[in-house]
Amino acid sequence: MYICIHGCADGCTVVPMSTVQPKKPARRSPLRRLATPFVAPPVFDFWAQRLHPTWSWDRALARVVALAPAASNAVTLTLKPNRHWAGALPGQHVNLTAEIDGVRITRSYSLDAPVAADGRVTVTVKGVDGGRMSGHLLAAARRGDVLDIGPAFGDLVLPAKPEGAWLFLAAGSGVTPLMALVRQLAGQDMPVPVTLVYWARTRAELCFVQELRALAARHPGFNVRFVLTRETAGADDEAAGRIDAALLDALVPDLAARQVYACGPGGFVATATTLLEGRVPLLRSEAFTPPPMPATDDSGTVEVRLARSGRALQLPRGVALLQALEAEGLKPKSGCRMGICNTCACGKAVGATRDLRTGTPHTEATAALKLCVSSAVSDLVLDL
Amino acid sequence: MSKLTATRRLSPQELDAFGAELDALRARTMAQVGKVDADYIRKVVRWMRFIGFGGRALLMVGAIGGAFVPWLLWPACILGALMLGLAKILENMEVGHNVIHGQYDFMADPQFNSHTYEWDIVATSDNWRHSHNFRHHTYTNVRGMDDDIGYGLLRIFPEQRWRPFYLLQPFIAVVFALYFQWGVAIQELKLGRWVARKMPKGKMRRDFAPVGRKMGRQLLKDYVLFPALAGPFFLPVLLGNLAANGIRNVWTYVVIFCGHFTADAETFPKESIRNESRGHWYMRQLRGSSNIGGGRLMNLLTGNLSHQIEHHFYPDVPAHRYGALSVEVREICARYGQPYNTGSLPRQFGEVAWRILRHAFPSRPRRSTTSRKLQTA
Repeated sequence: MYICIHGCADGCTVVPMSTVQPKKPARRSPLRRLATPFVAPPVFDFWAQRLHPTWSWDRALARVVALAPAASNAVTLTLKPNRHWAGALPGQHVNLTAEIDGVRITRSYSLDAPVAADGRVTVTVKGVDGGRMSGHLLAAARRGDVLDIGPAFGDLVLPAKPEGAWLFLAAGSGVTPLMALVRQLAGQDMPVPVTLVYWARTRAELCFVQELRALAARHPGFNVRFVLTRETAGADDEAAGRIDAALLDALVPDLAARQVYACGPGGFVATATTLLEGRVPLLRSEAFTPPPMPATDDSGTVEVRLARSGRALQLPRGVALLQALEAEGLKPKSGCRMGICNTCACGKAVGATRDLRTGTPHTEATAALKLCVSSAVSDLVLDL
Repeated sequence: MSKLTATRRLSPQELDAFGAELDALRARTMAQVGKVDADYIRKVVRWMRFIGFGGRALLMVGAIGGAFVPWLLWPACILGALMLGLAKILENMEVGHNVIHGQYDFMADPQFNSHTYEWDIVATSDNWRHSHNFRHHTYTNVRGMDDDIGYGLLRIFPEQRWRPFYLLQPFIAVVFALYFQWGVAIQELKLGRWVARKMPKGKMRRDFAPVGRKMGRQLLKDYVLFPALAGPFFLPVLLGNLAANGIRNVWTYVVIFCGHFTADAETFPKESIRNESRGHWYMRQLRGSSNIGGGRLMNLLTGNLSHQIEHHFYPDVPAHRYGALSVEVREICARYGQPYNTGSLPRQFGEVAWRILRHAFPSRPRRSTTSRKLQTA
């Protein structure tokens, strides 16, 4: 199982796991190589962005060119990335960064369609209770906003020439990468039989319904079933209930012959894996990881991965990280040991910490975590 | 002739309470940091770039236009140099210095990252992070630990041992002011130790490599590339850039010296920081720092180092908040009977100049100063 980060779900972890890269970044022109030693990128960007909001020396930026409601609490954003963005394969996801209240927040979202010929991409974002990024994108984002867009990652991609029969299992916003695959296959006139089973709590939360029904009507090889967990089924292509063996068998008679991709919340993907592992010729999945829960007590230990040295350590909660790392025999750079000099500040890619001076929890990725006055709350990935 | 009222001695319990109140003020302030601060620093960067561009453009106009329309030369070049100097002051003080302190790390914006920001001055940000952020801010005015005390060149305090060399310091201080950026650049190299051959072999070469690269970059930019843009009329541009760097040098020197070397600023022996409590650390920062009065323009032009005391209390709080913080800081200090050293720029710099002149000659610590010396809690 692949841990997806992906998502639509706010607060999920942002770790590139995949080795599949869509394509190499564009080659640098000789003129550009010649100019590089003389260019300060922030200065270049400042003046270039007086002329065009996404012009940049080296940063991949994308402008929001359209917003459209996708469901009761979801929005589809159309983005136009600049030429520094290297593209993506259908089924992959990208990190998007927006500045919210002065702080840059990064979340991972699946593209819900193949990259358009003019370079535009679309993501469908589902609102998550208390989610900062999804809340911002649903309520505050406007046409013309500029987001940072990261390289694409993720293995939920189709082979160059798909063969056999396929089954896509989607739950909630997990539909977005699978929608991209459906659209990719539709663009190729559905060369293989595909069934999409799509779970949501209520009908109002379903995205892409009309398009999926239209595709099913046009392509005999494509079937879609909407499964509701909090409402009763109405239409012919609807069903009700959580994922289980009986439901799967009823919805997909030739289940044992299907290659399966599944994407959704952790619990859903775990159940699907248990039900299908060994029963189908291929099973690949991505799950959202829940946001790190700020623990209420300071007992026990957490796993701290050090990205640069490749080590993993068990460190106690409630103790300054600098002290805890030194107790393990490491010697991170440090200075004042009281939170003022910034010498020990290092990057934190994943996880929640607490500022020991104020008690404030910090759950976002940061480039400057002061080890001497921060303690671990959840598992961490540090840039050490 | 102290302008400060007598200081109350604080018991260890009072020191702890003093520190706790200042910590609480920091926590309250940090909880508000957000969009206002991001907007502020971007606004300053915007102005800095426009003023800098205007300054460089005027130098070009003066140099090239002045060759054909002679009356253009002087006004355009003088205004251009002033604007470029102002842009460099804004970049060094309000943006560079404060960003490198980590005041804007909360934004998670790579352009304002304290560990990667490189400022427009010959000193490398890396050396500054060590000598300033760590040594100077942690061990402020502690003799033998804070290298900013006289920069190893000047005798500012009677506690420094007098040597005949210091008789030259009124002259040296002026040269140092004019070339201040170079002094800061080589501060971390410890040339004195190298000359005295007290340094491991090869260390100087290793330490100098990044500094030399930065120096080369800065020289290339201000004295080769931009003058070259004016072609045969390069000279006014080159001199204008020299003047702009000079203006910035003198101004930063004045501001920094006013921050820690006024008449009532104190230095401390190494023993005073053994097992130092948080409250004692705050008190030491307070006694070793001095503010410059003068309102919003002064705050902007000094990168808010006009509030040196607040800066030393809270080096990682966005500096434009110091003015607002100072109201409560003064009130807390007054309640604990602690002096709060502030005065106009002429007054504070007058005191600095007097120190430089006075301590060029042999001097001994005054008894009144010793009696106000910090007691170790």
